[in-house]
Amino acid sequence: MDYSTLSIQQIRQLLLDKKTTATEITKFFIDRVKNIDPKINAFITITEKEALKQAEILDAKITKGEKIGKLAGSIMAVKDIFLTKDIQTTSSSQVLKGYIPQYSSTIYQKLIDEDAIIIGKTNTDPFAFGGSTENSGFFTSKNPWNLEMVPGGSSGGSAAATAANLCHFALGTDTGGSIRQPASLCGVSGLKPTFGLNSRYGITSMASSFDCPGVFARTVADIATVTQITAGHDSNDATSIDQSIPDYTQLLDSVNLSGLKIGLPKEYFSSAINNEVKDKVMETAKLFESKGAILKEVSLPSTDLGLAVYYILVPSEISSNMARYDGIRFGQTIPDSTDIISYYMNTRGQFMEPEVKRRILIGTYALSSGYYDAYYTKAAKVRTLIKKEFTDVLSEVDVILAPCSPTTAWKIGEKVNDPLEMYLADIYTVCINVAGVPSIALPCGFDSQKLPIGFQLIGNFFEESKIISIGHQYQQITSFHTEVPKL
Amino acid sequence: MSSPKISMAELEHIAKLARINLSESEKNTFLPQLESVLNSFDVLNQINTDNIEPTFRVNKQSNVFHQDEVGESLPQSIALSTANITKDGYFVVTNTIKK
Repeated sequence: MDYSTLSIQQIRQLLLDKKTTATEITKFFIDRVKNIDPKINAFITITEKEALKQAEILDAKITKGEKIGKLAGSIMAVKDIFLTKDIQTTSSSQVLKGYIPQYSSTIYQKLIDEDAIIIGKTNTDPFAFGGSTENSGFFTSKNPWNLEMVPGGSSGGSAAATAANLCHFALGTDTGGSIRQPASLCGVSGLKPTFGLNSRYGITSMASSFDCPGVFARTVADIATVTQITAGHDSNDATSIDQSIPDYTQLLDSVNLSGLKIGLPKEYFSSAINNEVKDKVMETAKLFESKGAILKEVSLPSTDLGLAVYYILVPSEISSNMARYDGIRFGQTIPDSTDIISYYMNTRGQFMEPEVKRRILIGTYALSSGYYDAYYTKAAKVRTLIKKEFTDVLSEVDVILAPCSPTTAWKIGEKVNDPLEMYLADIYTVCINVAGVPSIALPCGFDSQKLPIGFQLIGNFFEESKIISIGHQYQQITSFHTEVPKL
Repeated sequence: MSSPKISMAELEHIAKLARINLSESEKNTFLPQLESVLNSFDVLNQINTDNIEPTFRVNKQSNVFHQDEVGESLPQSIALSTANITKDGYFVVTNTIKK
């Protein structure tokens, strides 16, 4: 049986009906990953031993007639910035090569507690700094739809693994688009929740007022099932929000498309966007209109400022967060230095990838004496304006519909020598992170080269159930999410 | 053409503050790249932000406290397991004070 195309619910039902075992499902996926992953390089570590152990525990529960978890038997891929106890966690950087964490991130642990099975740790740009996986300290992942193209990033390994059916769902993080952009480029769905919905505890920090862990899957229904588990307060994360979580799985059809007000922000359909992407996203809006939704042009005038705000504030937070990589408590090191300052400088100079250094340098510059107000404070003030524009527009319309990326996937190597050009690929995603609102990315077609195109639905704070419901209903009337790349 | 945002001397100073050794070739690569990124930030200067409060957190939380109670923690041997050099239950570092 091909377990790779089944939903989380279908897998669990097969186990409950005793039509298969978790071990059989896991072995199927291990074989599949071993056959297919060498073509796309989605994984840094394949956790065969751990997966079989988890499957064995689950099978024993079933044999004994014990209750099984909501994700029983589902295979998950985990971005390699989530700490996984006793499993190497590198953050795709030479800095952490060989690092075996002593504890697990909250989200990973919650999913394991619901009997999900980890198949491996996926490639990313180092510490999630990038938009293509090309900055990874190990290798570049490839887009399953065209192996010459990037999968997007930073969570490119997780997106590629989901697109190639190497897992049922995958974990990622979205600080400036790192779930939605690769989801869009690989033709899968991905949710960036409201900041604070999913705990950041045990994930290597990038920017602590931006980082949003979230999930990739082929269907929105599966995203709802996983988010139901991951969401919720965690006292180990001071930015985690303490409020009740609705049952997303019961609210899949809760929004009525008829009369739904959809805002189309004109700045997201301007000259920067590729025509094929624009046409497909507009077709998507028209499809909603044919189901009774009301389309309205709206304006988010500060969109052009988003990248500047993002690339000041995020590197500033990065420069602070990255100070922990001192080579003393964890990580690779150059031990033979004469004094502590050269120990730090040699270690960080040797093992940090170029993009890691660049972002720390930009942040250190922006925070340094004489520049702090001109850059950091200024950007934080414009952040206030951008956030207000989103909440104002979302008081006029129910949801905002926009492209995720101005283009489809680009050739590996094409943008690698120009950091600014690479940053521009984030133009349609960063403002959502600056504001902190939730957004879900979904596939809506292909360009003439058969590369996936995606769009996003942006809601107001904590309106995950709304955007999930609209996304789910979209997938009931379209089939783009069911298309699978030939590998 | 505006004056450069960052000189080689400033780049070297920033790298030292950030505790990162840069090779000559890295400095030569990074300098124009940082210049171009910093120039892209000029767009913010057109915006009047008088009387606007900065946003450091998107949600309304502030001062999240918990009870000062002893909880579970990692045993010392496990906590030290990822360190490169340890001695008698401590992390070992290079000289911090020059003789």
